[in-house]
Amino acid sequence: MFDLSATLQLIVSGLAMGAIYALVALGFILIYNAVGVVNFAQGDFVMFPSFIAVSFILPSVIVFGSVMHWQLPIIAVYLLVLILMAGFGLLFNRIAYYPLRDRGWLPVVISTIGVSIFLRNLAQIVWGSQPIVFPSPFALQTLSAGGLHLRTQDLLILGVSALLIAFQFVLFERTTLGKQMRATAQDRATAQLLGIRVDRIVAITFIYSVLLGAIAGLLVSPIFTVTKEMGGLISLKAFAASIVGGFGSIPGAIIGGLLIGVVENLGGYYISSDYKDAIAFVILIGVLLLRPSGLFGERVSEKA
Amino acid sequence: MNRRATLVALLALACACIPFVLHSQYMLQVTDTALIYAIVVIGLGILLGFAGQMSLAQAAFFGIGAYSSAIASTTLGLSPWISIPFGVLVSVAIGAGVGYPALRLSGHYLALATIGFGIIVQLVFINARGLTNGPDGINSIPPPHLGTLALDTYQTYFYVAYGALLLSIYIAWRVKHSRIGRAFEAIRENEIAAQAMGINVTHYKVLAFVLASGFGGLAGGVIAHMTRFISPDSYSFDQSVIFLVMLVIGGSATITGAVTGAILLTFLPEFLRPLKDSYIMVYGAAVVVMVIFMPEGIVGLVRRLIPTYQTPPAAPMRATSNVADSA
Repeated sequence: MFDLSATLQLIVSGLAMGAIYALVALGFILIYNAVGVVNFAQGDFVMFPSFIAVSFILPSVIVFGSVMHWQLPIIAVYLLVLILMAGFGLLFNRIAYYPLRDRGWLPVVISTIGVSIFLRNLAQIVWGSQPIVFPSPFALQTLSAGGLHLRTQDLLILGVSALLIAFQFVLFERTTLGKQMRATAQDRATAQLLGIRVDRIVAITFIYSVLLGAIAGLLVSPIFTVTKEMGGLISLKAFAASIVGGFGSIPGAIIGGLLIGVVENLGGYYISSDYKDAIAFVILIGVLLLRPSGLFGERVSEKA
Repeated sequence: MNRRATLVALLALACACIPFVLHSQYMLQVTDTALIYAIVVIGLGILLGFAGQMSLAQAAFFGIGAYSSAIASTTLGLSPWISIPFGVLVSVAIGAGVGYPALRLSGHYLALATIGFGIIVQLVFINARGLTNGPDGINSIPPPHLGTLALDTYQTYFYVAYGALLLSIYIAWRVKHSRIGRAFEAIRENEIAAQAMGINVTHYKVLAFVLASGFGGLAGGVIAHMTRFISPDSYSFDQSVIFLVMLVIGGSATITGAVTGAILLTFLPEFLRPLKDSYIMVYGAAVVVMVIFMPEGIVGLVRRLIPTYQTPPAAPMRATSNVADSA
């Protein structure tokens, strides 16, 4: 029952989902490279901005139990959400990371877990537990070309992700700020000796990671519904993607994300839809056992 | 008996009176649950606190114990006194099977592999309908009997949970103060140095993982015959995270810390109930505050506040950081 056009459609929508995993994975990796800690609240930075956005986009949405009519143009909403989340990233850095920066990785991991619990339940209190349908700027239209039916939202995801990745490349390779971020990630003490304000660079890295999550959330929400749990599985799969690609490696995260998106879409269709969500983790465990440094892994540096 | 042993024995006796003092069925249920969670967290403490290896699959072993014991008692008609140890065996066997390959990884990598394993286990609970009855879960799990007395109230079941907890504490204590415990400690502090001293690092890491699985499996069996109903959503990744938080908040390198953290964080949501909807949110915030202000967990805080109670200082949480970095 192999069907070429169905397979191609699955590959495109898998690539779109994979691009989301890649964006979230980049958020993980940038923080990990900067401070050596996995941020367990990354998935909630996908969920929370989606809730904020939907409150301003829908003609009526229930906030704190009462109906709000805050409808704004969609571009204004996206900008507003990104500004709010940038502030939030700074706050997150100051509260959950900064006081613990000299205490090893485990306390920071636990504090990001605390933030995650906090955000999920804050979302439930503010917006209730009913899933909310997020309107896409293109609704759920499909484009048909040569017998293929592609969702415009998938194409939008792929386009925006490509732009972001290009932006990030320019940021890291061509700007002073990007070079300072890379220097801090490589060796904090030396970066500090060279006059880089390490704490500030780390804070900027946090803000940037939170924004990556927020953009991923705004892009993926029209495909799913907005719920307080929506970030959970996305972030775990993004985790898996970053390991599969080689942890710490930026190109690895992108390729790992796309790979997992495509394989789980195909596997969910051709093998078993019940176990679709397990596929990412089977790939993860397979890669960890056979090639722990990841498919495209640079050797992970040992920090003393 | 020295003074400390007498104190411990008196405390254990005093705790045994709880079912006579506590009359609310609901509070008894929370108490029994807290004791059972303490067993899971002690297991995790052996792995993380003693041996310095991170796992986020503890809820999966908790679930494997629960499902094995439930299935053995409902379909094979085994008595819970036999099916619970059977659940421990299954859990230990799976722990050894997973642990051997997984423990070649360390730090974050090990944590991530265990996340993957935990999620796959939960998906099996949900989807292997023939064995686990899928999302509906397994009901009418029999309670254990003592002679003709069915231990089917929270009051009587307290003693099953309490007995299992005391047994776990005893085993963990014996492990800690043995050759094995010292090997764990050496591996936690410096894996390469431990190897140089002739410790078979892989062997001991797998042993720590297997012990953690065994404690998880024991607790799972014990809780299945208390609630008499189990379903896949109790054994999620989030539950593994909660066990980890309990351990770190309590103080990861000591048995007292594991037990204190488990009991306190099981009761904390109950104390926060007056906050209604926002209680879990406050719980999340409390976790952040506690980890910032209590670097060595509750046990470390108590030790700092009561200077007369002096024991050799427990290794602080950062002791595990070298493991992460050698990944």
